[in-house]
Amino acid sequence: MARADDYVAVRGAYYREASTRVIQPMVEVQRESPSGIDVGAHFLIDTITSASIAAGTTVDNVFTEIRDEVGFRVRKRWERSDFSLAYKYSSESDYWSHSIGASYGVRLWADTAALRFTAGRSYDTMSAKGRTPDCRPGHPAEFCTLNAWFGGVSYSQVLSPVSIGQVSVESAYLDGFQGNLYRMVPSLMKYEFLPERRLRNAITPRFAYYIPATETGLQLHYRLYFDFYPGDSGTRSDPWELSSHTIEARVYQQVTPTLQVRFAFRYYRQSHAAFWCAPPNRPTTLPPTDFCAMATNPPSGYLNTAVYYTSDPKLGPVVTEYPEIQLMWAADALRTVPFVRWFAAGTFEISYGHYFQNTSFGNAHVLQTGYRLAF
Amino acid sequence: MRLVPMRFRFWLISGLAMAGVAGCAHRPPPVQPWQREHLSKRAMQFDADPQEDRFRQHWYGAREGGDLGYGQPGGGCGCN
Repeated sequence: MARADDYVAVRGAYYREASTRVIQPMVEVQRESPSGIDVGAHFLIDTITSASIAAGTTVDNVFTEIRDEVGFRVRKRWERSDFSLAYKYSSESDYWSHSIGASYGVRLWADTAALRFTAGRSYDTMSAKGRTPDCRPGHPAEFCTLNAWFGGVSYSQVLSPVSIGQVSVESAYLDGFQGNLYRMVPSLMKYEFLPERRLRNAITPRFAYYIPATETGLQLHYRLYFDFYPGDSGTRSDPWELSSHTIEARVYQQVTPTLQVRFAFRYYRQSHAAFWCAPPNRPTTLPPTDFCAMATNPPSGYLNTAVYYTSDPKLGPVVTEYPEIQLMWAADALRTVPFVRWFAAGTFEISYGHYFQNTSFGNAHVLQTGYRLAF
Repeated sequence: MRLVPMRFRFWLISGLAMAGVAGCAHRPPPVQPWQREHLSKRAMQFDADPQEDRFRQHWYGAREGGDLGYGQPGGGCGCN
């Protein structure tokens, strides 16, 4: 299925787990001009209904939050390269974010390879409803901030008429409040406080292979992630040390000239952050660790003198699995159907996946639908 | 002590992978323009569905601690 360069797309996404439901309608438009200047924009609304304002807890009071996001991008194309600028603004009742990004790409080796550099910057501001938050212990402020710098490079190489490989390397430096202003740590009866600086890194090789005889496409993705506290990397003082492995396989199968099915399976496993301590749930005489009260496996409990403390499940040992099936249908058959014939130039898609999680969030259903019209 | 070797391993793997992939370019181009029919298909593109990717990264970032690796991170929400 070929992809047109000018399009308008509408999508709806639905995510549901035991205590959280997200509904996200979205519209995106892109226009490429013969002069080599392209523009695009998107707008989406997240409606998040949760059992608690502090994600991951089990408190039973329903809470609904609306998030609006709008983004713009401009790209200039030359014969073998392009440069783009992007801006995105996200707004909630207690969280606001501006982000800017720039990207430069160049094609090499007789157009069989592509090199792309990306850089970005984001400015987040947050507040807590009903109280003045401690952005750090003992330092209350009306608003807390989080600044991030991002940089990445990716290299793609055509390996044969039916295979292509890509490797990307990315880093992001975060400075500011990185927790949730509403999440309590029950054993301390305090709001969580996370290390304020973090350097996140990922390397992601990907490979795609196509089998013309059966019209089958295969993709394999792997991602290695690790982070650390700048300056403390590799020492006992480093509170992060979270690492993860992600493997994803996708199979694209052309069923008819207008119908394609995609099967995907993603597996994710991470170690816990060094400062993350499981809730203390059994008596023990084990000694404390550098960050936790007891050297259980994983370590558990916080001392009253703990510098960092959290009850965020996603900073603990996490394993997730995500199988998904997607159908994509080019709606040519509607060309002769009254009233709906103008849909015939577009493509419909629908997908369903089940997100298995080993954390207290529980498993989730994920449903996505979309329609994309080339013009 | 665990992350020192991991940092070296990260850059070593990155360098070797990129050099390995780039090494293919030292030969004549493996694919001529008239051989690229299949390369343009959706199944051969890693970023063919940016809207879908945006939603995926949004929820992965809210449920997993290792968010990064597919372009500029989403961020920008109080959902963590």
